[in-house]
Amino acid sequence: MSMKQMGCEHENRVLRAMRSGKWSAELRQHAAGCADCSEAMRVAEALQAEARHSEMQCHPPDAHWILERSRRLAREAAVRRMSRLLKAMRILAAIYAMAAGVWLTRGYAALPYREIASSFHGPSSHFMLLGAIVTAAFASAGLWPILREDGKRHGFDSGR
Amino acid sequence: MDEAGTIAGWAAPSYQTAAAGEEGFRRLYDATSRPLWGYLHHASGRADVADDLLQETYCRFLARRAPAMDGAQVKSYLFRIATNLLHDRYRNRDEMAGREPDECCVARDEDARLDVRAAMRQLKPRERELLWLAYVEGMSHTEIATATGLSALSIRMLLYRARRKAAQILRPQET
Repeated sequence: MSMKQMGCEHENRVLRAMRSGKWSAELRQHAAGCADCSEAMRVAEALQAEARHSEMQCHPPDAHWILERSRRLAREAAVRRMSRLLKAMRILAAIYAMAAGVWLTRGYAALPYREIASSFHGPSSHFMLLGAIVTAAFASAGLWPILREDGKRHGFDSGR
Repeated sequence: MDEAGTIAGWAAPSYQTAAAGEEGFRRLYDATSRPLWGYLHHASGRADVADDLLQETYCRFLARRAPAMDGAQVKSYLFRIATNLLHDRYRNRDEMAGREPDECCVARDEDARLDVRAAMRQLKPRERELLWLAYVEGMSHTEIATATGLSALSIRMLLYRARRKAAQILRPQET
């Protein structure tokens, strides 16, 4: 089908005039005599009448409700994203803990650690001990909420 | 303020502040929700689907925080989201393909409106979308292409065929 056969070239102008109500005499005359434009007008009139009636049936929810729903969905999406990140971090932490465990039992055991440890004395050993305690405290403080949350989720927290 | 001004006002940077955003969104919503619902209703043939997709359209619109757009672009963007949601619905659920349109679309109405609704039911979803966007929303072929994701060149042909089909269906009942 060629482009010439696909409707009248004035159809858009006729439809615009129909919507705005601004008709030129020439366009009105054309629309009255053109089968394509008349057909387009008839379909447009029928659909527009239907649209006017349809709008009366429409009772959209309040805009505030839509905004609240949108914010709630955004929060849920953010929580999902953070949960994925935390899950990835937990997996990495587990891998790290296992690797550290293997290293401590196999690799570190092979080191002459007694000699190394005995070379530390006086202020050096105090600083080492203090550093280890601080590290353990921070690690525990970070792990505690995560482990507690996991416990609740898996039903280990039988208190509630 | 006319519809285009209202929509453009919302799209302005004042949306950045929450209060202005809420008030601006309310104006945008008031100006566009009914036409959008009408489109969804007649393209899908079901009021419950239109209710559902209307909310989803605005939620997606808000979530995407589109860059600054003028009034016509915002309107096209909303219709595009709605059209994509309709197509997702067509793909994911065959409930719309197999079921008849709801009660409000087929009964207790004047003859002329029944004719239009009966004609719409006989058209394909894509044809309903094109006819509504062109003849009710008054969109240009370029705007329809943006809203439907079709190429602008094919719109003229598809719209012509859809209009011919609609006119053929309407014609016998008018005489």
